[in-house]
Amino acid sequence: MNGARDIAIVGIGVTAQSRGSGRSAISLLMESIGLALDDAGLSMRDVDGYIGFTFPAGNGQGMSDGNVARQFGQPMTLVAETSGAQAVLLAGAAIRAGLAEVVVIPAGGSQSPGIEMATYTRPTYEFTEWTGSMTPAQFALIARRHMHEFGTTSEQLAAVAAAAHRHGRLNPEAVAFGRPPLDADTILAARMIADPFTQPMCSLVNDGASCIVVTSAERARDCRNAPVWLLGGAFETRSNSYFEAPSLGMMESRPRMIDGFARAGVVHDDVDIVMCYDHFAHGPIIQFETLGFCAPGEGGDYVPMAMQVDGAHPGSLDGGNLAYSHNGVPYNFKPIEIVRQFRGDTPDLCPGWREGIHTYDRNLCRKVRDPRLAIGCAPMTDGRHGFAILAKD
Amino acid sequence: MDAHFLAPQPTPLSAPFWEGTRTGELRLQQCDDCGGWRWTPQILCTHCYSPHFGWEAASGRGKIYSFTTVHRPPVPTFIAPYVVAVVELDEGPLMLTRIVDVSPETVAIDMRVKVKLTPLDETITLYPFTAD
Ligand SMILES: [Zn+2]
Repeated sequence: MNGARDIAIVGIGVTAQSRGSGRSAISLLMESIGLALDDAGLSMRDVDGYIGFTFPAGNGQGMSDGNVARQFGQPMTLVAETSGAQAVLLAGAAIRAGLAEVVVIPAGGSQSPGIEMATYTRPTYEFTEWTGSMTPAQFALIARRHMHEFGTTSEQLAAVAAAAHRHGRLNPEAVAFGRPPLDADTILAARMIADPFTQPMCSLVNDGASCIVVTSAERARDCRNAPVWLLGGAFETRSNSYFEAPSLGMMESRPRMIDGFARAGVVHDDVDIVMCYDHFAHGPIIQFETLGFCAPGEGGDYVPMAMQVDGAHPGSLDGGNLAYSHNGVPYNFKPIEIVRQFRGDTPDLCPGWREGIHTYDRNLCRKVRDPRLAIGCAPMTDGRHGFAILAKD
Repeated sequence: MDAHFLAPQPTPLSAPFWEGTRTGELRLQQCDDCGGWRWTPQILCTHCYSPHFGWEAASGRGKIYSFTTVHRPPVPTFIAPYVVAVVELDEGPLMLTRIVDVSPETVAIDMRVKVKLTPLDETITLYPFTAD
């Protein structure tokens, strides 16, 4: 890729993220697609590529190539099943190869009312469900092993969660906005879910959807907003999350991840924002290490400071999965928050944020100063991880 | 063990494993060509891609790779607290399981454990581990 500015994110759309919206996944996803296309100055007629885990078809036939085309009412030249940073990279490769021109990447979901825990928190596989290892337990196993091998502490996990919650408390769009503030001590003392994770170290469960539109530099010229360029990235899958035993195997992807920076001609120190995948508090720690921002084992010391809004590589700027939204498929939010930071479109407590006027008073403001280069991450699991490198126009 | 969850549903590939636990063995697939062990069940050897394998009785012993004590269960029928663990089997593969008959405070990484086959019903026998 060599950092060529030939592929861009030109539109983003985010519905309200909330608990108990009473809305179906279909309506949320369709709304997000409409918002993102409108943001780009494009219409449904322009779309020829679709990447997502689900498809909100009224006929209930779901995610298949033909059904997507049938429901869009026009031929699709690319249909694929992934999300977030991986989907952005895949869209870029497909557009570059001439397989599609305008790709939408919708994601999200709705939890039916009345169930105690969302279905995505309860793996039902043959060798998993009987153990009672719901999602927090699956990732607690990874965090515990990281603590054992590298000396990472519960206090460090709490400090990561505290940074995400601090940002989320400044984001009026966050599900946890308005909740009492959480510092590291409060987080450590909170209800234990699966040791070492207390509740504020775990993802939210809520409704909502989001969508990203990716297109070529040529098409981007006619779009409504300034393009955000896709410079490159990397992804790697190693194992089948929730089915295989959780391990630190994903850390062995480090050379591949670092190579992604080299291929894009990007140096770690130049990256202004690192939107890590913060599904649980250990996520940013392992991701910083595996992406090469610090050495394996240094993340516990490094990340809690680095990810703060004025830190070396700020992240979880919207509050992340812990405080902003986990709507079942929240992967898009990492690239989306980067686009919003580039645009200055970051709702917070600054009186003038709607006009893009920020105070940079950290009691009010979660806007990073003049970000130009950023990393949006996929989940840090054996089943799905990687990142996309995005640059401001 | 508390047992009110969806019982494991054997597949044609995994049936010999569940037949093993029912008859007192923790079986793993072992490759006929390279001798490598694998878990979970796979059509091809994960070491050499050979399709030829046998379901062989493993030692049922290993050491704890990682663990967590679950305080808030996914459904109320799991009785917390309980310990979920990844065991590194002596044959090599990592296996997700439960640790039973050990107080959660005494569970530690690298602790030696052995399987404790535990019938759930007439067809399914589960395979938690306990201190060795
Ligand atoms: Zn073999």
